[in-house]
Amino acid sequence: MISLERIKALVQQEWYISKRSLEVIMDLPFFAVIDVMLFGYVAQYLVGSAETEAAYYLLLGAVFWESIRITQYSMTVSSLWNVWSRNLSNMFITPLSLTEYISAHMISGVLKSTVITSGLIVLTAVVFDFNVLVIGWWNVLFCFINLVMFSWSVGLVLLGLIFRYGVRVQALGWAVIFIFQPLSAAFFPVAVLPPVLQTFAKLLPPTYVFEAARGNLLDPSINWSLMLTAVVINAVYLTAAVIIFKRLFVASTDTGQFARNES
Amino acid sequence: MTMATVLTVQGLIKNYGSFRAVDGISFSVPRGQAIGLLGPNGAGKTTTIQVLLGITKVNGGTIHYFGQNFQHHRQACLQRINFSSSFNTLQGRITVWENLLVYAQLYRVQHSKQKIMELVDYFQINNLLHERLWDVSAGQKTRVNLIKALLNDPELILLDEPTASLDPDIADKLLSLIEQLKRDRQLSLLYTSHDMAEVTRICDEVIFLDHGKIVAQDTPLGLTKRITHSQLQLSFDGDQTKLQQVLKPYQVRYTFPTSFSIRINLPEQLIPKVIFNLSQAGVWITDIEITKPTLEDVFLQIARGQHDIT
Repeated sequence: MISLERIKALVQQEWYISKRSLEVIMDLPFFAVIDVMLFGYVAQYLVGSAETEAAYYLLLGAVFWESIRITQYSMTVSSLWNVWSRNLSNMFITPLSLTEYISAHMISGVLKSTVITSGLIVLTAVVFDFNVLVIGWWNVLFCFINLVMFSWSVGLVLLGLIFRYGVRVQALGWAVIFIFQPLSAAFFPVAVLPPVLQTFAKLLPPTYVFEAARGNLLDPSINWSLMLTAVVINAVYLTAAVIIFKRLFVASTDTGQFARNES
Repeated sequence: MTMATVLTVQGLIKNYGSFRAVDGISFSVPRGQAIGLLGPNGAGKTTTIQVLLGITKVNGGTIHYFGQNFQHHRQACLQRINFSSSFNTLQGRITVWENLLVYAQLYRVQHSKQKIMELVDYFQINNLLHERLWDVSAGQKTRVNLIKALLNDPELILLDEPTASLDPDIADKLLSLIEQLKRDRQLSLLYTSHDMAEVTRICDEVIFLDHGKIVAQDTPLGLTKRITHSQLQLSFDGDQTKLQQVLKPYQVRYTFPTSFSIRINLPEQLIPKVIFNLSQAGVWITDIEITKPTLEDVFLQIARGQHDIT
């Protein structure tokens, strides 16, 4: 039976680790702010050179991209903190279930992402005079939900790979997500990509989200077509990710790798 | 299976590819008893513990905790057992208090803060509560681990080399605590260690594993009695040839570590007779030392493949 108390325990542990780790503070809020500042100043330069549209694309993409990066990082790297501390197997010899474990990390990722993305929205408004909310509250919410769902899928698969193959593949935890940055056309219209890459882009839910958000800069009405396409693909991805994660986890306990991860 | 048995293992098998790490072992842990799981490196102890905790998948056999099949009632079983090892620690980046609070919630402990404080008082680590775990010493970490292992009032604790990396004084205190817990709470223990003196002190019964199989199972005393030979060391004043003449009919193995001492390996019941005959032959014995076999000798014989004692 799923226990909310156990889920809360893991979310609480995440909070304790985050507030006490300089690494987490640097990796999440610090780099998020630096990224947005960088793109913000590039955007400011472009506004001055009559490339106003591209400037807003950059800022919008930078803020939304961080919600992907932060959620995925939280999903994957949080488990690594426990592997590095040799604490992960201790947690799995409690009555904690895999569902509770995954749920807790999903919640934790969303909480971190919500707080930091909200901060970034305020930052762009104050420093760069660009209000992300001009695309409409509902659009921001739908975009955020879709991007978080995608991050969960990527995070789960990466976590499964780390459980299965050990810390020798741990770098995937913070590196792989960046492959999706150009492929999902985070900062530019998808039409800019060569045709082959456009085909890949169409398989990725964030492509539809970024495309819709850019469109919302001119017309804030919800683009249901793009949003629903993203939701459907996300649902497929998430289902597949859960199945893949479970298989990788079982294989990891079968080969003994799960226990060996901490040795 | 009786209610007095907290753990029953039947025909447990674990394969890693073509390598069989655990080969059909069966044993049980009665309530309030400490069972030692011993064996040389690679014997299958760690794999057995991992399988019993559910973090490594089993390939054959059954595990029952408190009469419940572990595979089908994982959560219920894990709620009633716990584990502590010197090789696993809690989360190093957060404080002792935060760690214990997280685990209390994972075990859904009622009145968790009160429970933690009771155990913290018992183990006398009140001054460490707000220290980050990675800042405390190895001995203190072991105590924190044990508090974690007692949070859910377990009926069985699996202890994997709990005193490894501890200095003798702290290790002795820890063993006293384990003895006290066993006595006070009718706690059952499954205990692994490479320190045979420690195992003799703590365990009611010992299981020796080798190449994934149980090769011996008995009380520590029972196992040592299987080694029939003791070592007799004598210091003497006189001629070595006299001793050789007396010992010849017994066909025992002996060496002369110095010109005036002899070390004889012989069956225990022959010791008085040999000493008497040496005196009768005029050998002036100045010192006698008898070394009886220990669990370590049993361990060494098994590790060296001398399974005749099993």
